[in-house]
Amino acid sequence: MLQIKPILAALKRHKAGTILIAMQIALTLAIVCNAIFIIHQRLDRVQRPTGMVESDLMTIQNRFVGTEESKAGPLVKADLQALRQLPGVQDAVALNSYPLRGGGWSTGVRTDPDAKNSKGHTTQYFGDEHTLPTLAVKLIAGRNFRADEIVEADPQAIPDPAVIIVSKALAEKMYPEGSALGKTIYIGDSKSPSTIVGIVERLQVPWNGTWSDTFYENSLIQPVQLTSAFTNYVIRTKPGQLADVLKAAPAALVKANRMRVIPSERGVRTFAQVREAAYKGDRGMAILMGVVCLVLLGITAAGIVGLTSFWVGQRRKQIGVRRALGATKHDILSYFLTENLLIGIAGVLIGAFLAVGMNLWLVTQFEMARLSAVYVVVGVIALLLLGQGATLAPAMRASRVSPVEATRSV
Amino acid sequence: MLKMTHLSKVYRTEVVETYALRDFNINVNEGEFVAVTGPSGSGKTTFLTIAGLLETFTGGQYHLDGVEVSNLNDNERSRIRNEKIGFIFQAFNLIPDLNVFDNVEVPLRYRGMKAAERKERIMNALERVGLASRAKHYPAELSGGQQQRVAIARALAGSPRLLLADEPTGNLDTQMARGVMELLEEIHREGATIVMVTHDPELAARAQRNVHIIDGQVVDLAEDPRFHHAVHAARGNAPA
Amino acid sequence: MFAYYLQLGLRSLRKNPLLTLLMVLAIGCGVAASMTTYSVFRATSNNPIPQKSSQLFVPQIDNWGPDASQDNKGEPPNAMTYTDAINLMRDKRATRQTALFPAAVSIVPADPQMLPFRETSYAWYADAFAMFDIPFLYGHGWTADEDASHAAVAVIGKKLNEKLFNGANSVGRNINLNGRDYRIIGVANTWNPEPVFYDVINTNGFDDPIEVFMPFTRAVELQTTTNGNNNCSKDPGKGWDAWIGSECVWLGFWAELPSKEKADAYRQYLNGYAAEQQRSGRFRWAPNTRLRNVTEWLEYQKVVPQEAKVSLLVSLGFLLICLVNTVGLLLAKFMKRSSEIGVRRALGAPRKEIYLQFLIEAAAIGLAGGVVGLILTGLGVMGISLVFEPDIAKLATLDVSLVLLTMLLAVLSTVLAAFYPTWRAAQVQPAWQLKSN
Repeated sequence: MLQIKPILAALKRHKAGTILIAMQIALTLAIVCNAIFIIHQRLDRVQRPTGMVESDLMTIQNRFVGTEESKAGPLVKADLQALRQLPGVQDAVALNSYPLRGGGWSTGVRTDPDAKNSKGHTTQYFGDEHTLPTLAVKLIAGRNFRADEIVEADPQAIPDPAVIIVSKALAEKMYPEGSALGKTIYIGDSKSPSTIVGIVERLQVPWNGTWSDTFYENSLIQPVQLTSAFTNYVIRTKPGQLADVLKAAPAALVKANRMRVIPSERGVRTFAQVREAAYKGDRGMAILMGVVCLVLLGITAAGIVGLTSFWVGQRRKQIGVRRALGATKHDILSYFLTENLLIGIAGVLIGAFLAVGMNLWLVTQFEMARLSAVYVVVGVIALLLLGQGATLAPAMRASRVSPVEATRSV
Repeated sequence: MLKMTHLSKVYRTEVVETYALRDFNINVNEGEFVAVTGPSGSGKTTFLTIAGLLETFTGGQYHLDGVEVSNLNDNERSRIRNEKIGFIFQAFNLIPDLNVFDNVEVPLRYRGMKAAERKERIMNALERVGLASRAKHYPAELSGGQQQRVAIARALAGSPRLLLADEPTGNLDTQMARGVMELLEEIHREGATIVMVTHDPELAARAQRNVHIIDGQVVDLAEDPRFHHAVHAARGNAPA
Repeated sequence: MFAYYLQLGLRSLRKNPLLTLLMVLAIGCGVAASMTTYSVFRATSNNPIPQKSSQLFVPQIDNWGPDASQDNKGEPPNAMTYTDAINLMRDKRATRQTALFPAAVSIVPADPQMLPFRETSYAWYADAFAMFDIPFLYGHGWTADEDASHAAVAVIGKKLNEKLFNGANSVGRNINLNGRDYRIIGVANTWNPEPVFYDVINTNGFDDPIEVFMPFTRAVELQTTTNGNNNCSKDPGKGWDAWIGSECVWLGFWAELPSKEKADAYRQYLNGYAAEQQRSGRFRWAPNTRLRNVTEWLEYQKVVPQEAKVSLLVSLGFLLICLVNTVGLLLAKFMKRSSEIGVRRALGAPRKEIYLQFLIEAAAIGLAGGVVGLILTGLGVMGISLVFEPDIAKLATLDVSLVLLTMLLAVLSTVLAAFYPTWRAAQVQPAWQLKSN
């Protein structure tokens, strides 16, 4: 009963309405495909694990005042001692940065000191032997640093470390052919080798923007306690004691030495807050795109309902005549559904091109990935279904038109 | 008042050309009441739409109140419709969303008349058709006869020189039709020129003059005995 | 006639409240989405110093060479070495010039009950105050002599002055920075250019206003580190002096060049300077320099966040769809009334009156859509902090111009959308109704 020819003939007489619905479907498909693609990308990013156990973890940003910039070693040591002795604290460490902090150090690394270009790019974390237990990253090969391997260093004069711990991602980048444990790498343009003594399963870099996407799990830890006046304390609390330590830790630090600045905003944060702040933009963008998609689909559906209703109203008499001539309710229903399907197919065909075109354009303008065909296919199906759903109500109304309408004058 | 000479109207489709009017000649004088009759499809409605400047024509000349109308643009034609012509349609053609008062007001609005004058004219016109008390009613709340009287009031409110009626009683029962017809006759007595299209011989008989159209041309009534007979029968003095 | 058509329009809209609501909501949503994202875009693409944006320039000198710059489309580094900054300051080829960096200093309050705290602090040269048109509440900036003598003087911001001195004139009093006293010689009035063009590299364009200004020469003498980025192409070596003398870039530099001739001359000077460095053996490559004014610099640094652009684009697409939708619904609505139009035309309405009637009806929808859009824009601007950094989000505000723009966009876009349906309506022939069924 899919009589396409008469439907096409009828559509020819409603060119404007047909074009408008097809256009709307096409544009909606283009935008929804790209928006959902953006949502997916953002959510993928948000779901990246840091490699740490993030519960019971907190950070304090500290800067000593009135001390020479690189002579704060004893003060940091005293702070760490004070923190580690607090009742709720399991372990604490002073780092230059930590995952998702937003700022940190990065460098190229080589396996051959004479190579012109670096083989990989990585972030550098500086910390003592408490780093692994505090962050609770999983050591999958080798060992942790020993206390006697830790050196104190001015951030502007860091010696090349004899031993380092790397993330699995970096290890595989440097030695793709096999275990990197025990092998050496060269940091920056240094000529002295550092031996990999430990490999951790995963440790994310401090950044979460697109620029670090190529090395977001490439990390190395150097056995260095920086003497810089600026440092980040990362504290692991005993289970369930996070809230207490959140108050007790900064208080203990201020009590030990007042000449410091712990910023009122973002100075003391649970890791949950760090994560939230880091991904705020990504999550917000995903929400925004989600809302846009929903409203867009709603408006498109409503538009189809509106125009189809108008057509049904316009053709009541014609429908009555058809009914009088023996068309069943089902025939009328399928007439309108088929009509919408035809328009929908035209719309999604144009829309698919628009979606890909829009994505290609976005790729050239912004740092964005190529749209995968799956999104377009899913979008096409979704919009066709949406169109059919939106047509259903007016089409049902049309199918209920009585054959008597045929005999009525306008 | 209304003079068409050698007028023609051709409808073109992809396939054929159809002459709705061909070498059409008619002359209606000021103050006349002319009935236009003819079988369906003969072109009487086409004649009326052209007479009312609702449609353009293909050839010939049409002088309305001394003005040759074929070269007028859309705006000028609208103005003439608005100021000189009153329409009475078979289907009344009242705007359902507007009440009686507002319906009658429509042509006056386009004339840019002051509110006070509009109101006076509307109430006068409604008074004349006996519906002043229904000014606030909506068309759907009125009977067919009343609706047609509103339509007549709307046509009268603008004091047109020429009243064009298309089967004014076509949608009405006999009694209502009589009322409407009496109203038209009264308007005519007061000086308006009326051209009425009808296929009802009885109505046609009440006009001063009959024009018969067959196949898009005016036919001399005297040469058509059938019609001659019918008219006389209607007037009750059929020739023996 | 306007009032009449408005009345007719409203009546027609009331007659089909669902359809009307749908159109109003669609326009409201489309306009709100566009205006919300536009408010961010507007804030981020703002010209922070319109009176001087074509006179203030950032010079760039390639001290890293083609190996490094090839990764960056041949562009020189974004910041300057200490060596180059000092040489440019010494040569004084611009009308005014300054090197600058965000200094890592903390304020130690005199009151021992108060803990030390930090405020946004910059070290720069005396010229900067005049270059950047910084307004003063009390006192003034320091002089070139004080630059030369590494004087322990400071200018503080209004907010800090309120915090430390309850807003009193604090000129002549002392402020302790990093444990050392500085004499306050001026209190700057609120100076909050958005984006913060003077240090895009370290702020991405958005930060709290500066509250502490100190002489660059003094800050360097005391080995005050930068609070901003430091980029090295190779290991600078150990210690402060090695760093200062290294090819690490960490300084901002601004030159005021009030005319095109001056700017051209400065360009030549920069190339000459780079050539001289090449001759002396420091650079092993041909001069590669840039000179960008404020507008060009903000553009080059992509200060408008990617999010702002993408979401503005998506919102505009959204509005377009809403408008297509409105075109369809208006077409349905108007064509449903073709019999009314036919009658009106027969009764003498010229086309122009039909246009007027339906466009006014559309404008009424647009107006209602604008009101809905305004409410939604208000909500959107409040919720903008979900998507953007707080520094940026707080710039997006629903001010008078945004309100007017919202209404204007709503009405204009609806009227635009109504053109086709109205044109169709005006094409309805007056004769149509007369023809027998």
